[in-house]
Amino acid sequence: MYLWRLCILFLIISLPGASSEEAGQDMRELVPKEVAAWKARESDGVYDRKTLYDYIDGGAEVYLAYDFRACLARRFEKEGAPNIIADIFDMGSASDAYGIFTFEREGSSVMIGQDSEYTAGLLRFWKGRYFVSILTEQETPESKQAVMDLGKVIASRILNEGVRPKIVSMLPLKNLQETSIRYFHQKSGLDFHYYLADKNVLNLGKQTEAVLAQYGEGKTKHFLLIVRYPDRDKASSAFTSFRAAYMPDAGKSNVLRTEDGRWVAAKCEKEFFVGVFEAPSRAQAVALLRAVDIGREEKER
Amino acid sequence: MTEQRVITRRDFIRGVASAAVAAAAGFPIKAQSAEKKSRVVLIRDAAVLDESGKINSAILEQMLDEALAKLLGKTSAKVAWRSIIKQKDFVGIKTNVWNPLRTPPELEQIILRRVMSVGVPADRVFCDDRGSKEKFEQATALINVRPARTHHWSGMGGCIKNYIILTPNPSSYHPDSCADLGKVWTLPIVKDKTRLNILVLLTPQFYGKGPHAYDPRYVWAYKGLAVSLDPVAVDAVGAHLLRTKRIAFFGEDKPITPTKHIAVADEKWHLGVSDLNKIEIIKLGWSKDILI
Repeated sequence: MYLWRLCILFLIISLPGASSEEAGQDMRELVPKEVAAWKARESDGVYDRKTLYDYIDGGAEVYLAYDFRACLARRFEKEGAPNIIADIFDMGSASDAYGIFTFEREGSSVMIGQDSEYTAGLLRFWKGRYFVSILTEQETPESKQAVMDLGKVIASRILNEGVRPKIVSMLPLKNLQETSIRYFHQKSGLDFHYYLADKNVLNLGKQTEAVLAQYGEGKTKHFLLIVRYPDRDKASSAFTSFRAAYMPDAGKSNVLRTEDGRWVAAKCEKEFFVGVFEAPSRAQAVALLRAVDIGREEKER
Repeated sequence: MTEQRVITRRDFIRGVASAAVAAAAGFPIKAQSAEKKSRVVLIRDAAVLDESGKINSAILEQMLDEALAKLLGKTSAKVAWRSIIKQKDFVGIKTNVWNPLRTPPELEQIILRRVMSVGVPADRVFCDDRGSKEKFEQATALINVRPARTHHWSGMGGCIKNYIILTPNPSSYHPDSCADLGKVWTLPIVKDKTRLNILVLLTPQFYGKGPHAYDPRYVWAYKGLAVSLDPVAVDAVGAHLLRTKRIAFFGEDKPITPTKHIAVADEKWHLGVSDLNKIEIIKLGWSKDILI
């Protein structure tokens, strides 16, 4: 049974054409076996949707909430220096590689891959359908340099760039906090970034795509959520569910002042739900809601 | 079937959601006068770790002894241990070996010694994590010990969650922010066996990042232990500390999965008390930056 699963995983990792979006590459070839004086251990770790738990204790669900396919983990060692771990994740599509990158994004780009960041020994970036994490167990000037060098090599070996989810282009740019953008599909993603309700009032699931972003800072901080449903009926149904749960006292209005003195506004247009949360004023809530250009996403599709 | 009412963010703002659920979602709760139901002893010692992070075993041993005696209202640690462990017990010490932040081996050794000091023979005490499912079937008493840390999906890895590996299919507990982790405690391998919960707060992790969810910036030398007979209460205290530290560190609370399982363990599985206002917290030792 174990051997059979190993064979299937080998096929996922090594064969091109396994992607629903475009051909994947052999992940073993994307990661070099040596960087600076760090040498790869003889055996890699390879994981699929069923075995990722074995590798990432506690974090696997984050990846499984996206279209994660396979992970290759390669550990580098150098005598007297901290280990370096390179994890490359085939996320099935560029959208989901971008999504898992945004999930924890905090910092500014270090110009590796399509988007990247480096904090305290951890380099994260995405390119094409791949999300890459490179971690040095302890940051030293040498290990940091090795992490960055390794990242550049992996990024150069990923042949194709991917396209960011088009729904992200619907976010109005004025006052947008760029590093706050989060792209996800399921309720668990929304719970992590903006806890709305205990029940799935927006009917989020594998077939929905959602983008959440912060606008303004400090006292003017507020949030915009856009969800795209498979069709208009599902969007309408989710909007009705949301209004019943979150704005039952709004009457016919789609704008409401909440108990903390902030404003919530929502609309349903075509197959999209759009919600503004914690706006400092009614005018700002309405303005941000109206600034979301549904037609823009359609034109770019 | 009656459809359950939805609890929304607005309910937390209004203060009409239960205090436990509100706290789990990271919303401030209003103080309520309430009967004390559970006790947690929080003990700290500035000297338990040196500057390099090395543990002073003798001090750690004193901390555990003092905390346990206080928790159980006994005159000495020896008496306290004898009140929770019997000579005839088969004892499982459920530790946690997550590589970046494991249960300290020094603490495992201290507990082993204390259990054996009661008269339990060495071949009837097991300290284990990943092999515990096989070994703990025959256990009559469990000691639950692990560090406090944030966790991607459950919000916090604490004492409630520490038993997930004793289940046939751990991942089946992951949906809905691991809400039903309390159910694990109803399984025969665990039910009514736990004699002590020790939440290790020597270097708790208040935020996680990256696939391996570990970043040394988000670990701090709190130098404490929290002990309780109630796994929910000790986790509620731990979750509060992690959240308070996050706010102190970042200037605001960072988004993180709500620790819903703590509230659900209380309200659905009746495993203990999750409302901080209903927990008697006894603080011993070093008080600087105690955060609670």
